[in-house]
Amino acid sequence: MATRSRRGGEEDGFGVAATVTSGVVAALLLVPVAYLVAQAASVGLGASVAILTRPDTVQVLVNSVALVTVVTAASVAVGVPLAYLTVRTDLPYRRATTILVSLPLVVPSYIGAFAFVAAFGPRGALLRLLAPLGVERLPEIYGFGGAALVLALYTYPYVYITTRAALRALDARLVDAARTLGEGPVSAFRRVTWPRVRPAVAAGSLLVALYALADFGTPAIMQFDAFTRVIYVDFTAFRQNRAALLSLQLLAATLLILGLESMVRNDDPVYAGAGSRSGDRVRLGPWRWPAFVGALAVPVLALGVPLGVLLTWFVRESATAGGTLATGPGVVLNSVSVAAAAALVAVLVGVPVAYASATRDSRLAGLFERVSYLGYAVPGVVLGLALVYLGVNALGPVYPTIALLVVAYVVRFLPQAVGSVRAAVLQVDPALPEAARTLGRSSVGAFRSVTLPLVAPGVAGGAALVFLTTMKELPATLLLRPAGFSTLVTRVWTAHSDGYFGAAVVPALVLLVVSGLSMLVIISREGYDVR
Amino acid sequence: MDHTTRRRLLRGASVAGLAGLAGCSGLVGGAAENTAGAAAGQIGSGRSPFGDRTIEGGTSMAEMPAMSGELTVYSGRGEPLVGEFVSFLEERYDDLTLRVRYNSAAELVNQLETEGSESPADAFFSVNAGSLGAVAEQGRTVELPEDVVELVPGEFSSPDDDWVGTSGRARSVPFNTESLSEADVPEDIFAFPDTEAFRGAIGCAPTYSSFQAFVTAMRVLNGEDRTREWLNAMLDLGLDTSYSDEFLVSQAVADGELDAGFANHYYIQRVLAGRPDAPVATAFTRNDAGAIFNVAGAAALDTAADGDLAANFVRHLLSAEAQDYFARETFEYPLVPEVEPIGRLPSVDELSPPEGLDLTELSDIEGTVELLRDVGAL
Repeated sequence: MATRSRRGGEEDGFGVAATVTSGVVAALLLVPVAYLVAQAASVGLGASVAILTRPDTVQVLVNSVALVTVVTAASVAVGVPLAYLTVRTDLPYRRATTILVSLPLVVPSYIGAFAFVAAFGPRGALLRLLAPLGVERLPEIYGFGGAALVLALYTYPYVYITTRAALRALDARLVDAARTLGEGPVSAFRRVTWPRVRPAVAAGSLLVALYALADFGTPAIMQFDAFTRVIYVDFTAFRQNRAALLSLQLLAATLLILGLESMVRNDDPVYAGAGSRSGDRVRLGPWRWPAFVGALAVPVLALGVPLGVLLTWFVRESATAGGTLATGPGVVLNSVSVAAAAALVAVLVGVPVAYASATRDSRLAGLFERVSYLGYAVPGVVLGLALVYLGVNALGPVYPTIALLVVAYVVRFLPQAVGSVRAAVLQVDPALPEAARTLGRSSVGAFRSVTLPLVAPGVAGGAALVFLTTMKELPATLLLRPAGFSTLVTRVWTAHSDGYFGAAVVPALVLLVVSGLSMLVIISREGYDVR
Repeated sequence: MDHTTRRRLLRGASVAGLAGLAGCSGLVGGAAENTAGAAAGQIGSGRSPFGDRTIEGGTSMAEMPAMSGELTVYSGRGEPLVGEFVSFLEERYDDLTLRVRYNSAAELVNQLETEGSESPADAFFSVNAGSLGAVAEQGRTVELPEDVVELVPGEFSSPDDDWVGTSGRARSVPFNTESLSEADVPEDIFAFPDTEAFRGAIGCAPTYSSFQAFVTAMRVLNGEDRTREWLNAMLDLGLDTSYSDEFLVSQAVADGELDAGFANHYYIQRVLAGRPDAPVATAFTRNDAGAIFNVAGAAALDTAADGDLAANFVRHLLSAEAQDYFARETFEYPLVPEVEPIGRLPSVDELSPPEGLDLTELSDIEGTVELLRDVGAL
């Protein structure tokens, strides 16, 4: 396999521009971190050391690491086979399955956690349902198991979507060739497919790991002592500086994960070629329908439990449903337009960052790419407050506006676009744009006419990730939205937090339907050139 | 909202007074047939089965200075509870624009602190006294005018008039009227562990913030050791800690799944709103942690562009109309003594919350959560 010999130097104007752009982006992303440092500094050195080294803090950090490991492993175990099934095989209803399998991403994990407690808890709906059959106990939902289950169910789509993009970009004829040469399907996957999708799996796993590390709600609801719970306690006790200090410790853990991933991700390029869709799909034969049922089981569990629980609440509380909480078209439009804006901006900003880090041997470009993960790894509330500070003090007139809200989404979710695009760029054989240069294209022209069409599935995947997660983003939305601006998920939150559970049903359903339709649009467009 | 609606708000019969009486004497019934009286479009309609009523006491908005201009309110009370009232005010005053930012009270406190002197907020409306106390401690509140604070009894505002309570919720004991009578429920929370009638039939929601506030109050009033003893004794009695919220506790009592429980008073009224014949009633302990009375309240902020308008907003929250609205929407206690609570409840004067308890101390839940874990209730 060829060693990594990417052309840099003065002739690659586009690459230089990309590096510069990603440097600017990285600098901007460091501003909230600087704010955290300033906040944490007010704790004082002695107190800081005491807080960071007390046994409690160390124990919860260990708990968090265990949680991250299990959730990430589970997401890969679920996401990769699902991606393979929906892209490379003759699974029935592939498009519908793709949408369903992606949808758990739009369920805010705290809603999922509440629903699982309500369904599987000691007096949950499920036990009531099963009681007549003689079932007296269900497995314990609280604690490590429950937290890991819920987090994995709502984050595996990260692995699914990035892996799917890589599989789609894969030249299926390579697999056919391997099969022709006598390799079995498993061996062909291992020797041909896997090396090509590995960067994408790594990118998705990284997103899962950092999400699991920084999630506030799930560990709190599942009564699991994760690191974020300690931060949360400081927040509710109005000790922001201590919360900032602990968030920095969380960031340190993030850097560790980023470093680990850098070491294992192995960017030795295995080029994908023309992204041909002409290869034969793997025939599942008699396994076609069992595989279909198996593929559906995961999203049905992830979506069915919250919907079922919301519906029981709806029935239970129809007498007291919050009548003032209309979910009109305006709310839907708000959700879709901020999510679309965030996806667009994240892709525009993310493509240069991903391109620079994937094609240039510069440490700087790699560093800038890593920095883009920091905003994602800070708990949303912490990041939201940092942007509140920035907004109030530096951006007076834009605070609070929708523009600042979109900035917050991009800061939070940029790595989702970067990771997906980067994995796609790594599959592009640099010989191809070079050929275009030889034929007289400028570096920008070569990127547009050769590289971009090849990475289009990755770009679409990144946009989809940002879009779906923005649809469900809550903490920064609550802090930065202008008065009177509601999204579907703030509607769900409002109804739920005031105990009008029934009123959460309609916005939750609309959230799923609108996200599903948006996925349909993204999926139906991703086959075309993006020029 | 048009003039007819507003008039309807002020019109009515003395139905609520009757319902209140029924509650005091433990009688059931008489409330359901009034459901039809709730008119569409009226403030608070739809959720209260107790229907229309006249507001006879309190200070009407008509007697208050008019509001005009723009006001940014940070509301820790949710939109389902406040939204309709906000619209009501905006429709009442043509020149008034209310910009309300809804979030959890704790996050709004953090946001106010982060924004500092540049905050766009004019007033803070909070779901609990702890958050108001935290904002006051940051020095961000301004003293409210005397005529505002005077609308409620002294114990419902801060000593420095930094903030004022706007509605209240009492800790209470829902009990099943088919298995227990009110006399079976002790008036002393420390007598609960020795009450054999509760054995294996009393429940609570230990993760729920109001239950944790109750335990916090016990720690503040009676000390850590006594609280631990009480919790252990209750667990020995078979206290069922498996409920996730107090609405469920109240439902379980109404269903006969439990004979008694611990819950905020309004959850029982919400159960009764859905099922007026449910065999559930409300008991209160006296002068102990089991009887704490927490308030939602409001403050005018030092960043207010128009301090008078901010104070006038708080004043309007204490109008007879607003007080009636809160009672209707949430079954909370109005704090203006002349406005009666809605539901089968004693009046606020008949409750005996513990004396000398600073409600802002209840924000310290960390130790409570540790204690609950320690004894195995969490």
